[in-house]
Amino acid sequence: MQLPFGDYLVGNSLYPLALDLFTPTIFFFFFSASYRVFRYFAVYKKPFIPYATSVTRETSSTEKVKKLVDTFANSSKVGMKRKPVTTAVGLLMHLSLIVIIFLLAQHMIFWAYYISPYKILFPLAIPESSVDGELAFTLATSPYTPTSYPFVHDIWGPLTIILNGQYITYILVILLGIYLGHKFHALAEGLTLRSGDWWFFLLLYIDIILGFLATSHIPDSVAYYDNLLGAHILVAEILIATLPFTRGFHMFEFYLGKIREWYFMTYRRGEK
Amino acid sequence: MAIAEAKVDMEALNKAIDEVFYSQLDSTLLYYFQACVNCKACEAACPFTPTSLHYSPVNKAEVARQLYRYRFTVWGRTVGRVIGGSKKYLSLEEAETMVDYAWHCVNCGSCAFVCPMAIDSGAMIDLLKQVAFKAGMGPKVYRDIAELEASGKYLEIDFFKNSWNSLISKIKDAIGKEVPLDKKGSEVLFYASIYEALAYPDVLVKVAKILDMLNKDWTFMSKPLGIRPPIGLVIGDKDGAVKVMQRVYSYFTDISPKYVMLTAGGFEYPALRYTMHETLKVEPKYEVVHVTELLAKWYENKEFEIEPLDEIITWHDPCQLGKRGGVFEAPRILMKALSKKFKELPSHGVNSFCCSGGGGGCGLPSMVNNMAKALGIAISDDDKKFLDKTSEPLIKAGKIKVGEINKIKAKEVLTGCPVCIESINFQIDYYHANSKVNHIVDILADRIKVSKK
Repeated sequence: MQLPFGDYLVGNSLYPLALDLFTPTIFFFFFSASYRVFRYFAVYKKPFIPYATSVTRETSSTEKVKKLVDTFANSSKVGMKRKPVTTAVGLLMHLSLIVIIFLLAQHMIFWAYYISPYKILFPLAIPESSVDGELAFTLATSPYTPTSYPFVHDIWGPLTIILNGQYITYILVILLGIYLGHKFHALAEGLTLRSGDWWFFLLLYIDIILGFLATSHIPDSVAYYDNLLGAHILVAEILIATLPFTRGFHMFEFYLGKIREWYFMTYRRGEK
Repeated sequence: MAIAEAKVDMEALNKAIDEVFYSQLDSTLLYYFQACVNCKACEAACPFTPTSLHYSPVNKAEVARQLYRYRFTVWGRTVGRVIGGSKKYLSLEEAETMVDYAWHCVNCGSCAFVCPMAIDSGAMIDLLKQVAFKAGMGPKVYRDIAELEASGKYLEIDFFKNSWNSLISKIKDAIGKEVPLDKKGSEVLFYASIYEALAYPDVLVKVAKILDMLNKDWTFMSKPLGIRPPIGLVIGDKDGAVKVMQRVYSYFTDISPKYVMLTAGGFEYPALRYTMHETLKVEPKYEVVHVTELLAKWYENKEFEIEPLDEIITWHDPCQLGKRGGVFEAPRILMKALSKKFKELPSHGVNSFCCSGGGGGCGLPSMVNNMAKALGIAISDDDKKFLDKTSEPLIKAGKIKVGEINKIKAKEVLTGCPVCIESINFQIDYYHANSKVNHIVDILADRIKVSKK
């Protein structure tokens, strides 16, 4: 379907195609994720537990909960001590990525369109550029037109001068650039590199740049905007669809692995 | 390790790869294989990474992942083969690399705790070790020792017999009466291996003295159950290890104590506490414990007091006792009683920096050399190169370890594993540090005062 927008027919671009492919992408993701999870069940062997209880070991519930937090924090703690630069880059990159994917106002509207309860997070929305924050800070500007939804810097206030899509994207491009350098270093050293590393990483990099170009209207034309935004969504869809076959799946398995570690090492106290 | 082409039976290697990989996949290993994101966070904890980035856990385990992908993934069999992501078998050069990688891992478990996905790379590298053993590519000196233990022929060796008998008579002298041997139904079965009898006989004598002082119902073994049972587990000989574990389990069950008490916190601890029972699928009526666990329990029950030292002491967590075995608190109860100036090393608990000896290495080059000499096992040129190469990580990892000891200015480093003692002593000597490393019992035995009841 093509909708008129001035002289330009909206729809004659990648944008509607990308939107049409979103639901199939999610289905494909669930199908692939189910395959990945099914494999765990297929090879599951019930562990034999020699000791049901132990007379020499006990630990309080408070200690167990405290250690759950420690279990998740340990990688970062040790990393900051022994590999401070790469760990800091990694942490900042993850944080920036999470903020931009889930809290950028435009993204939030997209998610809420498909998952209505997502609206509950709207008060946390961050704007796409620093201008909003700057205006809020210098002129205390409020929305010209009253809106039923919270304004983008209701909660963050002047913090949006730095906490916005524009600056976070700059940070991400730099941090992912450092990651890219890290990969070339590994390549030069003849260390482990997998095709999946490049696939996920490059798609992510491209997607961030496409999103940035679209939002920044570079080049400044509606036709380019539609195509860039469409390409941005399409690349994200490829990422989501292939997630269960790439390192991207760690966003789910991270919790599985760490909770498993905590269960055996803290909850069962090694009494596996 | 250089392996001459003529010495490698490629057919046996391929068969070993198939056997090991097709027989052992379970959901835990599957998770380890497919969840890695190659973030290299594991480099931060591995004691071998200071030697070379090639020895980082993720890099070593990748060989196992390549073999896994070919066998268990559609991508591995199709596209993966084209882009080098999977391998059906290994070339001679790749096999050499595999052996080199496998022996540069002590399976300390440090990588698992620091990995954001909690992946135990050691478990995958262990598969490579099993492949190497089955294909006859493991160091010959270790294969000979494992064979000696599995066959039970170690009991025929005079050197071992004499060392064991000498230990029993030293214990007898120390306690001033006959040593209770193989006494069924005792509360404590004081367990030791030949390796310990050779590495620290004095520690074993002191343990016996403590048991006697505390008036415990204990017994000792008239004959050792192995050289360092089940040594096969750490050199990739799973079948041999099962044989030895059956022998050990049968003895433990026959004596049927309440506790089987170990002084070694090396691989024996998790092996005899967990692996043995998991493998044989038996629920023990006894509990396998480290000497620190029982002493801490008796100390908390006020069965004895400890006369404290007035110096800075620290505890080195042996990886197998701590990370693999979950024993962290008990030694600390004793350490805090031993000195008010007890300080933790900067890396301790699950993040304790491994000494880089033990595990796969089964002991320092000097110890292996001496044992081989005593047993009349010839050390080949390849084995000599292998043993020499094991010193490099000790030196590189030692820099970090000794740096940590110096940082807290510890006079005494106490621990509970014979290999840790030997490794860290080597490192302290190499870097001319002013500390001493001892088994905790070494210091504790002289400072225990039995409470009057």
